[in-house]
Amino acid sequence: MSFPKMSEALLSCSGLSVRFGGLVALDALDLEVRSGAIVGLIGPNGSGKTTLFNVITGVYRAAGGRAQFSGQDLTGMTPQRIYAAGVTRTFQRSRLALPLSVFDNVMIGNHRLLNHGLWFNLFRRSGLRREFERNLAKAHALVATFSAPLAERMFDAAGAFSMIDRRRIEICRALVSEPRLLLLDEPSAGMTHEETRELMDDLLAVRSRLPGLSIVIIEHEMNVIERVCERCAVLNYGRKIAEGSYAQVAADRQVQIAYLGTE
Amino acid sequence: MSVLPGIASIAAMALYAAFFLHAESQAQVLGLLALAVVGVPVLARAGWVARTATSLEAHPLAARSASVAALAAIIALFHDQHFVMLMLASVLLYSVACLGLTVQFGYAGVVNFAGAAFLGVGGYTAAVLGPHVPHALVLLIGGLLAALVGSILILPILRTRGHYAALITVAFGILFRTFVEVNDALGGPQGLQVKGMNLFGWELNSPLKDLSFYANYVFVGLALAAAAFVLVRRLERSWVGLNLDAVRLDETAAAVFGIDVARWKILAFTFGNFFAGIAGAAYAMMTGFIAPNSFTFGDSLILVSIVLLGGLGSAWGVPLAAGIVLIVPEKLQALQEYRFLLYAMLVIAILLVRPQGLIARPARQYFPR
Amino acid sequence: MDVGLFGQYVANGLMLGVIYAMVAVGFTLFFGVLDVIKFSHGDVLTAGAFAGLATYAGLQALGLTSSAVQLLIILLVAVAAMAFLGALIAKYLVLPLRTAPPLNTLLLTLMLGSALRECVRLFYPQGANPKPFPRLLPQDAVALGSFTLRLDNVLLLLGGLAAIAAVHFVITRTKLGLAIRAVAQDAETARIMGINFERVVLLTFALGSGLAALAGIMNGLYYSEINFSIGLLLGVIGFSAAVVGGLGNIYGAILGGFLFAGLQTVGAVLLPALLPEVPSAYKDVFAFAAVIAFMAWRPTGLIAEKTAERV
Repeated sequence: MSFPKMSEALLSCSGLSVRFGGLVALDALDLEVRSGAIVGLIGPNGSGKTTLFNVITGVYRAAGGRAQFSGQDLTGMTPQRIYAAGVTRTFQRSRLALPLSVFDNVMIGNHRLLNHGLWFNLFRRSGLRREFERNLAKAHALVATFSAPLAERMFDAAGAFSMIDRRRIEICRALVSEPRLLLLDEPSAGMTHEETRELMDDLLAVRSRLPGLSIVIIEHEMNVIERVCERCAVLNYGRKIAEGSYAQVAADRQVQIAYLGTE
Repeated sequence: MSVLPGIASIAAMALYAAFFLHAESQAQVLGLLALAVVGVPVLARAGWVARTATSLEAHPLAARSASVAALAAIIALFHDQHFVMLMLASVLLYSVACLGLTVQFGYAGVVNFAGAAFLGVGGYTAAVLGPHVPHALVLLIGGLLAALVGSILILPILRTRGHYAALITVAFGILFRTFVEVNDALGGPQGLQVKGMNLFGWELNSPLKDLSFYANYVFVGLALAAAAFVLVRRLERSWVGLNLDAVRLDETAAAVFGIDVARWKILAFTFGNFFAGIAGAAYAMMTGFIAPNSFTFGDSLILVSIVLLGGLGSAWGVPLAAGIVLIVPEKLQALQEYRFLLYAMLVIAILLVRPQGLIARPARQYFPR
Repeated sequence: MDVGLFGQYVANGLMLGVIYAMVAVGFTLFFGVLDVIKFSHGDVLTAGAFAGLATYAGLQALGLTSSAVQLLIILLVAVAAMAFLGALIAKYLVLPLRTAPPLNTLLLTLMLGSALRECVRLFYPQGANPKPFPRLLPQDAVALGSFTLRLDNVLLLLGGLAAIAAVHFVITRTKLGLAIRAVAQDAETARIMGINFERVVLLTFALGSGLAALAGIMNGLYYSEINFSIGLLLGVIGFSAAVVGGLGNIYGAILGGFLFAGLQTVGAVLLPALLPEVPSAYKDVFAFAAVIAFMAWRPTGLIAEKTAERV
């Protein structure tokens, strides 16, 4: 797929709103993500960060506003079509298919690049085998970037692994289809500083192989944001209250009040 | 993983089956049952069941050949006994239907409590079309009609989750049975006679040599079961099987990664009902009649129980469970009256003690390496 | 159609509605508290009816012949027995399977229902045959034009409504009811708040099963006959009613019960009127088809489940 020029906005949300009954979860949000950028999304709990991910990926319906992705209007699209356009994500609460193997889980993310025809799968077995071997190698290489021991156990059930390994599997699931926009929801939750640092190193390594890949990261771990993101946006009660580099945002009075309260 | 555990287990089971089928007195039957009830958990604890399952998965060709050979041996042993041949054919045909049900809720998670109704559709097709249409075609049409009838339920099933979807199939099963019972064109409560199967000139109701004529149906049943088995295994060991599992385990995550949930549920449901229809048509031709009483809600429960007992999603578990469910009650003559009660208690016990069923479904191996 | 016949249909429909509603309330209570569909519920109804019948036989043997006393004792025994049975089922069969996939519990309760049915059929003297149920209510009737209003029907109707109202009272006005609702909403939090989860579950099952026993006795009094399989159809109908009304919602269950009775009545009336060759036995086909179509339109019932999935 062709990537837009580096400076063009890949994702552009304008006036995006989400309501649950009377509760306004997202309030007329404007956000731009350029092609190749890494943007951080921070804010107190309940400020609408995951809601934003959900509405971009089509899990929630927008009550107002628009989300444009590479020239296409995402608002109102099914999650399946949004994925086909090149948007993938991880979940705040890990959503892996635990009884399935590591390979299976990663392949679920690879849906776009696999042949799902019934005839092909049932009767063209040698063709299927070739596709299987090719994708096994691809998945193996991707998983190995994050953890070599994990890559040696591609056919063990995902449920047998530790939480950090499961997190890695989830990220691989989101990366394997070579997306253009990756939405990471609190990837470092529950990890030590060391593990987080390692995860971010691996992520950046993969990203260098996928030029033009944009990433939006929701995080509570400020070190990550500071280290990895060029820009970040701060949400509070569904509205964007600040945007800029990490330094700018950290010094912003409104942001400090949001996190720490007024004196 | 060596092929030996799988082959050894198949041979042992064939031997056990032979003894069981041969047993005359109730004491012998109960003794054999006691042996199984005590012996199997011991073997399971020793890891033998898991080893068998993995071995079968790793060597599909050997496993299938061994099964066919075992079946051939049993046919040879009991070739002139109507009862045994009828039982074997029934087990094989029920396996076809239950393999279909496995695809529906073992893989895709679409619960079907109206399985017997789809068998009934096939059966009535055989009754009505049998005298006029070549029987190989009748089988196919029976399957297609069952799939078609099932498609009526597709919209409600797609829009509902969990218990609600289950209710729809329950309601449908009852609805279908009532419909057929009240409909005199389909024979009403008495049902219809069904002509014996005649495949390309081979009249199945006339015996070959000194074999019971039911043996003919065993051969046809074996062909159908083998085809169903191969198709279901290939389905599971493919991207399609992966999609079905993804849909079953987490619809939202599946959707977010591009999986068309509706498409795969429809496929699984239709696929399964197709199998049930074919099995129903063949079964009706074998028993010679079809009536509303042939496919009650209780029968649908039996189908679901077979799938669960064998191990949800385990294809090898299906014929094993079908064998247990269909044959054991028949052998307990003295307890004939109590067989449904005992059977219900057995299933309850298994659900409490070994819910994963007899053969837990092994991890997907796309191509045995 | 003449008023008498119309009145007959309405009375019959109301009666069925009350019974269905009582069964549906049970289903909805169990689902609310444990997210479980206890398919054996209909057969608990049957067991309750037969318990009542057995008690009656016992009372006759003892020489107690006053109808009112008999009725009272039958009700007490049947309701108590089924409440106890319900609690047993909850403790030893349903609670242990809480962590298992829901399909397992579904199948377990289905099998349990079959087991109960078979037990009645096998162990009750001549259980396979329909058994006459004693007429313990006053048999007077009042003629209103061409419509005969039976006093016992009125009493049953009132009794049923009173029972439902009582359950509603318990759920909304008592501490137990509050505990039940708390557990239904969020078991974890309820526990943390000091609610004894297991006790609440057992009591809920006891309550629902007692209600079923009452429904069974009422069914027997209305038709003057019971048989071992009445629970099967009543169970499915009660479940349908609970689902249509929205699982977990008591008002929904009551509404669903009457709605289903209404569907059956309409079917029984309409079909012969519209399509004369179609026998009224099609009424069940009609009712169930309507339920299926309804589920396609409103997938989570009339009064939707309040659960939302956290993504």
